[in-house]
Amino acid sequence: MSPRNRELLALIPAGLLVTAGFAAVFIQQDELLSNVSLTYGAIFLALCFGAHVIVRMTLPHADPYLFPIVAVLASVGLVMIYRIDDELAREQAQWYVVGLVVFAATIVWLRDYTVLERYRYTIALAGIALLVLPRVPGIGAQVNGAYLGVNLGPVSFQPAELAKIAIVIFLASYLRDTRQVLVQGGRRLGRVQLPRLKDLGPLLVVWGAAMLLLVFIRDLGSSLMFFGAFLALLYVATSQLRWVVIGLGMFFTGAWFFTATVGHVQGRIDAWRDPFDPQLYEAKVSGSYQIAQSLFAQADGGLFGTGFGQAQLTLPCGAENCPRILPAADTDLIYALITNELGLFGAAAVIGLYLMFAQRGFKIAMLAGDAFSKLLAAGLAAVFALQVFVIVGGVTKLIPLTGVTMPFVSYGGSSIVANFVLLALLLTVSNRARAPR
Amino acid sequence: MALEPVSVALKFGFLAVLFLFLLWVARSALKDLRRQTDGRAATPMPEATGLHAATGFGGDGDRHALLVVDRAPGHEPGSRYDVSSGATLGRGDVEIVLEDAFASSQHARIERQGGAVVLEDLGSTNGTYLNDELLRGPQPLHAGDRIRIGDSQFEFQG
Repeated sequence: MSPRNRELLALIPAGLLVTAGFAAVFIQQDELLSNVSLTYGAIFLALCFGAHVIVRMTLPHADPYLFPIVAVLASVGLVMIYRIDDELAREQAQWYVVGLVVFAATIVWLRDYTVLERYRYTIALAGIALLVLPRVPGIGAQVNGAYLGVNLGPVSFQPAELAKIAIVIFLASYLRDTRQVLVQGGRRLGRVQLPRLKDLGPLLVVWGAAMLLLVFIRDLGSSLMFFGAFLALLYVATSQLRWVVIGLGMFFTGAWFFTATVGHVQGRIDAWRDPFDPQLYEAKVSGSYQIAQSLFAQADGGLFGTGFGQAQLTLPCGAENCPRILPAADTDLIYALITNELGLFGAAAVIGLYLMFAQRGFKIAMLAGDAFSKLLAAGLAAVFALQVFVIVGGVTKLIPLTGVTMPFVSYGGSSIVANFVLLALLLTVSNRARAPR
Repeated sequence: MALEPVSVALKFGFLAVLFLFLLWVARSALKDLRRQTDGRAATPMPEATGLHAATGFGGDGDRHALLVVDRAPGHEPGSRYDVSSGATLGRGDVEIVLEDAFASSQHARIERQGGAVVLEDLGSTNGTYLNDELLRGPQPLHAGDRIRIGDSQFEFQG
């Protein structure tokens, strides 16, 4: 079977999931089995099919699994958001359409992605500008103590989502040139070979940037995501574990120091260490209510979940705005909602999908012919996987909870659009890598 | 709730489709892994991404380093140059003279730096290509690397 036919075939499960999911939510909400869900499934399938046709025309050799994985993730997300609020789901569906258009535009316009290398410093500057944008007075917005959003009139977006792609492009092109210098090695100390002091320069600069990010936008999660992606790229570029060890050591030392001084981050750490502390649980600002409720919701799900539409999101009070039992269920805590309604099995499947996405990304890196493509694909896969790790780790109380989105599943326009750009880049790299020579 | 069984069936159907899809994708990943282990048996220690086959940092001091002519105007294909102690390539008065219209007079230099042999472009007009990638800054050479200047191509043998 040709890769494109394989991709086409794999889109069918996504359509099935939307149909089944919507049907179940209809039953739960209105107690009727309606064929409208079939229409939703068909529309979703048609949209994916449209994107597939564009991929078929422009990238005939690209990886066949990536796009279906994204379609399945998107259908899970859409069903979950529809189950929370049908108006939100309509907006989310619109964002998917925008995302698919941007996706198509990217693969059509950027078939020769090596031009990105030429503009690497511009791209790096743009990435950094995007990151500090939320701190610009007037347009920056503070959500739960972290500066992640930007409000421009009616449009609000999270610039960090796009910044992650810009920074990976820059790092890939930068490390392509400097990786060989970094491997040259320095003094030996017993069995450990220490890097030369001057080679620590780039590491120090990026570490400084990550720490600045921590202080500036006060978000441990994004900081970890960016620095982690950098370390992953450094490891791929040099194949030396010492860089990762040194980098992680530096990151945790820095994070430990700054959490002690930046109030908001400290609050997050406290909530993470003891979410069931009555004082923190009751606290109105930067308490542990979110994380504690997330854990309750997940425990309630059991093995197979309570079923679509069964999770209790608000307290029954009869009025419009009842107190929320599961706050931010459409964004930060959507993983907790999935675990509640689909159980451990559903949540494991979603994690599995992300795992497969990352696997395909690294596979592309292995197949790619030149160093920049390898580094770019590996970096994009790493930053994507780290984003999932940061949010799922946060919701399951493995690491402090921070506000990054679950790619393709969470509600949020900038996240969807940015991740479709990421997907487009991966597919373009893979098209060149798999093309017969 | 007359429709509850349907709802439960739909949920399990949803999970089943999700897992069947996952298995289908995972099967291809497994195939990749198997191929990987086969390859490992054939060639010892392949690298995860194959990015740097033999960096050889800190290796033994003075191994032989040869430049073999693939094709170059004025050179016999297959002829060898010893570059163990460094050499300059170009059109002018240098160790390896290129009769190539695209070459600058001092085009590129090969130098030994510690355990590695490093190729560096000397600010040439048309650039030096290492494995079909434009050289930017000094790069260590590995056995099998192809160096291209204009119409001339050499293979490095460490």
